[in-house]
Amino acid sequence: MSVINFAFLARPNIFRNFLKGNTSRIFSLNTTNYSTEEPPEVQEAPETVTREPSEKEKARDRTKVIPVETSIRYLKSAAYKETYGEYLVWEQYRRNHKGMFPPRKTRKTCIRKGMLSTGNPCPVCRDEYLVLDYRNVDLLKQFISPQSGEVISYSKTGVCQKRHQELLISVERARDFGYLTFDVPFREYDYSEYYNEKNESKK
Amino acid sequence: MSFGSNLRMFANKASLCCNVNKVTLELFSRCSTVAFLQYDKDPGPSFSNPDVQKLLKSMTRVQLEKVYKKRSVSDNTVEYKFMTSEQLEKQFRKAAERAEKLIQMPPIVKVKEDSQKVISRDPALTNFSNTKFVIADITYGVNSSDRKILVRQTDGTLEYAPLSIRKRINQIYFPHPGRKIRLPRMFEPEHLNRCLANFQYEFILDRACVQFDPYEKEYHEITTKVYNHINESKRFDDLRSTRHFGPMAFYFAWHQIIDDLLYDMIKQDYLKNGAELVALYYQLNGIDYDKSIHEKLETLVQPQSTIQSVLKPKASDDMHEEIKNAIGKSAEDFTADDISFEFIETFVKTKALKKVQLELALQALRETNDEKKKLYHGLKKAHGIS
Ligand SMILES: [Zn+2]
Repeated sequence: MSVINFAFLARPNIFRNFLKGNTSRIFSLNTTNYSTEEPPEVQEAPETVTREPSEKEKARDRTKVIPVETSIRYLKSAAYKETYGEYLVWEQYRRNHKGMFPPRKTRKTCIRKGMLSTGNPCPVCRDEYLVLDYRNVDLLKQFISPQSGEVISYSKTGVCQKRHQELLISVERARDFGYLTFDVPFREYDYSEYYNEKNESKK
Repeated sequence: MSFGSNLRMFANKASLCCNVNKVTLELFSRCSTVAFLQYDKDPGPSFSNPDVQKLLKSMTRVQLEKVYKKRSVSDNTVEYKFMTSEQLEKQFRKAAERAEKLIQMPPIVKVKEDSQKVISRDPALTNFSNTKFVIADITYGVNSSDRKILVRQTDGTLEYAPLSIRKRINQIYFPHPGRKIRLPRMFEPEHLNRCLANFQYEFILDRACVQFDPYEKEYHEITTKVYNHINESKRFDDLRSTRHFGPMAFYFAWHQIIDDLLYDMIKQDYLKNGAELVALYYQLNGIDYDKSIHEKLETLVQPQSTIQSVLKPKASDDMHEEIKNAIGKSAEDFTADDISFEFIETFVKTKALKKVQLELALQALRETNDEKKKLYHGLKKAHGIS
């Protein structure tokens, strides 16, 4: 399974299968390649469709709001395990860019007008069941460096700017609510401040 | 009046902020209904008593691995160096000294009550402004507890600022690392209960240390809540070898609920600590006991200094050492155990609340100890040492 094949994941069946408890997940190629290699089911679709959105369009549709609870369940499910294996969500993602050096910043957003507007959406946008929320601890943990305890830069994870902002906010909230633990700065107490004064005041 | 060189005034939206404080107070009063044991008199003097401090420190059982566990902080650099063995030893000593600092116990002091101290009443200033003015002296180098912070009320009264405003203003001008101006939502009862259910004890206590000062009522409520939860879940190991173990033991001894902790110590074969806990209990509750036990234990059991365990070469020629390593106890340890046994047993018979449980635990430990003793003497004979 090469890295490029990760690009994004065939949507509609997965959702139903995941909710049913059926664990099989399918990878599809980039949308640009999608039409050239024709699985029989896809070919059927255009014939029947008159005004209904095609399978291809359905796969890119991101208007449906997935509740966090679903996302939390998904991250624990076998379907998730099969898709990502032992890797972190962003680990196998590669950015597309011309030339040797990637642009300093990642793209502004992957989703425009409720549709995926790119063939290589960022690791959070490509899987619609990854919902950034302060309660979704398993997902947030994947974006925190075990060395420094900070959120890993988008230059490493490849997350688009919009999602990165969302990520920063949800990590901050998670810490505020105590969902995410972190190493609290050490506080040194000056005992004389608490004990000597009292003795003086008693005298 | 003059307050140092830098005087700063600002029309703070004090009335609004006061409302916020009220809300948090209400939240706390709600959570405090659940088994909140207060210190009935000032615990400060007994906590800072050198004897008590010594007992608490010894009970903490410092392990360097736990004190220096991996932390994920932004400055996480490692330095590699070539060293001679003397230099290495010196470094170990330094590390042990630093560990001493890192497990400094948060002080226990009584709750400080707000008191209104009016400086002057100037009715002429009534309705000068419809907000309060907070006046703070932000001279560099003044201790934040000594800093002068005053409030000019809307009715013209000039008075010392209440503690909540003091804390906020101090945090604005001289921020404490890690402290938030707004109370982290984690300390609200429902979220705190969730954190407790996930056993994040050390995290909660560490954060409470940074967020609150030891004399705040909220600090007392949160810490006691955590200690009570630990007492129920019996996960004392989570706090062992951290800076919070001492205050926890102190809290238990003060409120006479040491049974579970004592049971845990007996089960884990930390008999000396058990004896110390009982001694602490006697001392805090003003009960007379034979103080010579400390000296006896001290002479027999070397204070398990962590440096020595690191420095000691593993292979030793001494037969005594070898046997000790095989069994985990030396002859001195056995006699010390006997002394502790007696001391704890008298406590169990007279004062303990969970007598049966403790007696059974003592019985079990005594049996295993006897077996070890037999083995020890057997090995000694086999090696031809008397
Ligand atoms: Zn994106």
